[in-house]
This record gives sequence, structure tokens and C-alpha cells, in this order.
Amino acid sequence: MGIILKAENLEKVYKVGKVDVPALRGVDLTVQEGEFLAVMGPSGCGKSTMLHLLGGLLTPTKGRIIVDGEDLTAASDAKRTDIRRRKIGFVFQRFNLFPTLTAEGNLRLAERIHGNGSDDPDRRREILRMLKLEDKMHHKPLELSGGEQQRVALARAVVNRPAIVLADEPTGNLDTENSALVLKMFRDLNDRLNQTIIMITHNPEAAAACQRIIQMRDGHIV
Amino acid sequence: MDNLVISNIRQRPLRSAISVLGVALGVTLVMLFTGLSRGMSDDLQKRSSNVRAEIIFTRPGSMTGATSANLSTKYVDLLKKIEGVESAVPVIRHFYPSGVWGVDQVEGVDWDSFAQMSNIRLIQGRGPKAIDEIVIDETKASRNHPVGSLVKLFGEKDFKVVGIYAPESGARAKLTLEAMQNFLEAPGKCSYILVKCKNCKSQAEQIAVARRINEQLPGNKVQLTGEFFPSIENSIPGLAIFMRILVGLAAVVSALVVMLAMHTTITERTREIGILKAMGASRVYIISEIEREALAISFMGLLVGFALAALAGFGIHKATGLIFEFGGWWALTAAIIGLAGGALGAFYPAARAANLDPVTALAYE
Repeated sequence: MGIILKAENLEKVYKVGKVDVPALRGVDLTVQEGEFLAVMGPSGCGKSTMLHLLGGLLTPTKGRIIVDGEDLTAASDAKRTDIRRRKIGFVFQRFNLFPTLTAEGNLRLAERIHGNGSDDPDRRREILRMLKLEDKMHHKPLELSGGEQQRVALARAVVNRPAIVLADEPTGNLDTENSALVLKMFRDLNDRLNQTIIMITHNPEAAAACQRIIQMRDGHIV
Repeated sequence: MDNLVISNIRQRPLRSAISVLGVALGVTLVMLFTGLSRGMSDDLQKRSSNVRAEIIFTRPGSMTGATSANLSTKYVDLLKKIEGVESAVPVIRHFYPSGVWGVDQVEGVDWDSFAQMSNIRLIQGRGPKAIDEIVIDETKASRNHPVGSLVKLFGEKDFKVVGIYAPESGARAKLTLEAMQNFLEAPGKCSYILVKCKNCKSQAEQIAVARRINEQLPGNKVQLTGEFFPSIENSIPGLAIFMRILVGLAAVVSALVVMLAMHTTITERTREIGILKAMGASRVYIISEIEREALAISFMGLLVGFALAALAGFGIHKATGLIFEFGGWWALTAAIIGLAGGALGAFYPAARAANLDPVTALAYE
């Protein structure tokens, strides 16, 4: 198992008017391939900022991020988008599915964005079977429960075999039963597909499902 | 449903329909304006080409698009004496405000000699004799003007239809030359004299006769018939420019409607664009998705626009007699305008969407 993600001395300062607001103050993080990592900490500690930086949605004020051998921080915006497309899968608290598309449509969209050669029906079927979504593929998001929507979002995130899945409080909008179900799916993906997952959570039970937990406070990993 | 473009169009049917109608409006305007111009021009050309005289004799400065009766009918006899001239028929063409088209025309002729020269025949009734009698062509008769009915000319003055002739030639209504001279208070005058040549088989022979007329009756204007009856576009110098401006405006209308629709769409879908960005969609991908949606809307607008133009043209023709002739070239122009207008209109909102900050877009409520 090698290192799949490495962040060095990561800093992020937001400009709010004329005021500098530091969100990250020098974060170092190394994640091994196949690791299931939980990130915990109080609101405003910089968890989401770190996740957005690791996924290339934001650029750091200082520091370096290497994802699967590619330097995200040295890349142009277009190159960063390309790295994100090939190597990162996102799962959000609010599911963020396209409401006009069916569950299958959401997956196919991800495949189209990923590009030619990514349409892998066997992979799609395997993911759908694992996430118990075979009979939900022709439903639109509003016809699905919250747990089902999040499973579709998870399927969409992993369908193109990303190096890392970044999940931002994926159980935050779910009841206990659905949270447990979605967490089990994360674990299954990690166990069976050796999928690397970094998951932000406030839920200690969710964090307990992970192999490693890191705590953040005031822009630092503690 | 796994196509983002189609699903987005179906998601907001009212807005999509308004956008389609916006494009359709531009296409319909282009088709109707150009169809009307071409239809009326071709109709006049066709009627003019049925005048069998080869030469028109008139005074310098006489306008083809306005009434003039400044040529003495004494020239008729002088023309007949010139070698190569078979017959000469004086005509007064009078333009007057009328109906929806805004202007109509009537001709004063000596019916028998005019009919003989132009090879037209009465299919009903007889030629005009009294000053309040007219003959009309079949097109005008088909608008509820049978023989014996009254037709208002020159405003409110009633004229009795005494005959219907075919084929159509020149103005659709003709009265006697004397009646027209009285009406215009121009006794002994006409607008032009139609000259039929003897055995003129080639244009060179016609030109030779015209040259002789010019030599023997100098100071007048001698033209071949084909040059005298220009198309509407040529006789009204600003019409071509006016049409181009209308076409341009139609393109702007289409583009603005699509731009507004796509701008609204993108504002509503800001978070979805954030999701696309999080999924790794490039700027080009996002722009192309929005452009594809705009083009799909524009294409539907095209089809609706063509259908509306055909329906409106048919309805207006039935109600007013105006003639529409839809040409392939203008249909192609309208199609390009509709599609290009839609694509250009969508480009700014598409580029704006592609440049959205993904984190800000994802946080959009």
C-alpha cells in the first residue's frame, strides 16, 4: 500500500473585506491507499475547507497537495479540474443529485464527464449491487428516500474508480437507520474495492466505523 | 431519463415554451416580411410580364411607383407612323391609398386596343364603356366581386364591375382612359404609351425600333418593357436595407429571449453547476451542455416559427389578398438566425456559469 494523498503545511486564508480570516494554519496529512479516514472537529475548525482543498475545489494560500502522484497545487485551474475528474469522487451532506435525472442518469452523467472508455456496465452493476440500488435506477431523486439518495450519490462518486472519495458529512441529513446503512456501504466499498475514503463527520459512531480518526481544531490537526 | 439537456427542458415546460416562442417569433417575422416582399414583388412582375408590348414610351421623370399623367396622347398617332411600330396604346396608371397593403393601383385604358395588344380576353361580361365601369382580373373577382357588383376606387367612389378578364396583366382593375383622364383632370394625357413592334423577334430588333423612336421623337423616354417594370425591391431603394434591418432585429429578439431564458436557468441551477464542477466537468463541457440546451430550444423555435409563418401567411392571404412567397434562401437565413441567435444568446450565461467558483456554487440556495 502506498501513499495516495499527501498534504504539506497546508494553509488557507479567506479575505472577508479587508480582513484576513485564516481557515487552515499549516496542516500536514498523509493518507494511505485503501484507508478509511474520519475527520472530526467543531464547526468552523477548517474541516470542509481542507476537504475542498484536497479535492481541488479551492486553492491553498500556502502548502502542497499531492494526489495519486499528481501535484494539485502546481496545476492550473483546467488541470486541477482534470485531476478532480480522474481521481476524486465527492459525496455531500445534501446528496447533490441532479433532480431532473434518474438515478441511472446521474451515474451516466458522471461517466460522460469522466470521458470515453469510462462506460463500464460491469462496474456499474457491481456498484449498484453493492449499494442495493438495482431496483431504484429509474427513479428520480425526489422519488427516493434520503438514504437511497445518498447511496446513489455514493455510487456516482465511485463509478469512475476514483483514487479517493471525499465525503462531507454524508450522514448529516439522514436518520439513524439510514445513517447506519450508508456507513455500512462506505465500509463495504472500502473493504471490497479497497476504496480510499476521507469522511468528515460530527457523528462519533460514524467515525468509529473508520480505520483512523483525525481531530481538527482552529485550522490545525490535533 | 439520463440526458441533462432534455430533462432540463422538460423540467420547466412553461419557460421552455416561452423561449421556443421567442425564437419562433423572430423566425416568423423574418419569413413573413421577406415572404410578403417577395410575394408582392413576384406578383407585380408576373402581371407586368403579361403586358405584351415590347417598348414603353413615356416622359422623362415619370415615376413607376406614383401616379403621373404628363404625356400627351397625340404621341400615339406619331408612334404608329414610325417604321417597325405595329400599334401604340396609351395607359394611365394611378396609385391610390387602399386597404391593408396601403396602396393599390388602377389603370385607364382603351379596352379594345389594350386587350388586343396584350392578348387578354374577357371571360365574363364586356369591356368598360361608361366612366363608372371597370373590368377586373380573376384574382380581384375571387374576392367577392362578381360581374354587376360595385367596387370602391379612389376612396369612396363606386364603380360597377362589367367584365372579368384573364390572364392578369398590369393593375387588377381597369377603367376607360377617358374616365381616368376626367378623374385626374388630365384630358389628352396619359402616363405612358405601350408600343408593340412589328415582327420583333430579337431584342436587337426591339432596340432598333426604340432607337428610331428616340430619333424621331426626341426628348422623351424610350425603354424596353422589361426594364420599365422593376421589382418592388428595385423600385423602392430603401426596401432591401429595411428588410435587412428587420431580419437583424428578428435575430436580436431571438438572441435576447434565449439569453434571458438561459440566464434565468443558470441562476436557478447554480448549485447544479457547482456539482458538475465538483464532478470534474471542464469549462468546455459546461458551456457545451448549456449551448446544446439553447440549440435544442432554438431548433424547436425554428419548427414552430416556420409553422406559424405558414399559418399566418395563409390567414393573411385569405383575409386581405396579400401574397406571400416563402423562399428557400430566406428560410435558410431564418434558420441560421434562429440557431445562431440562440447559440450566441446562450454563450454569455454559459461562459458565466463555466467560470463560477465551485464552492460558492455548491453553497447556493
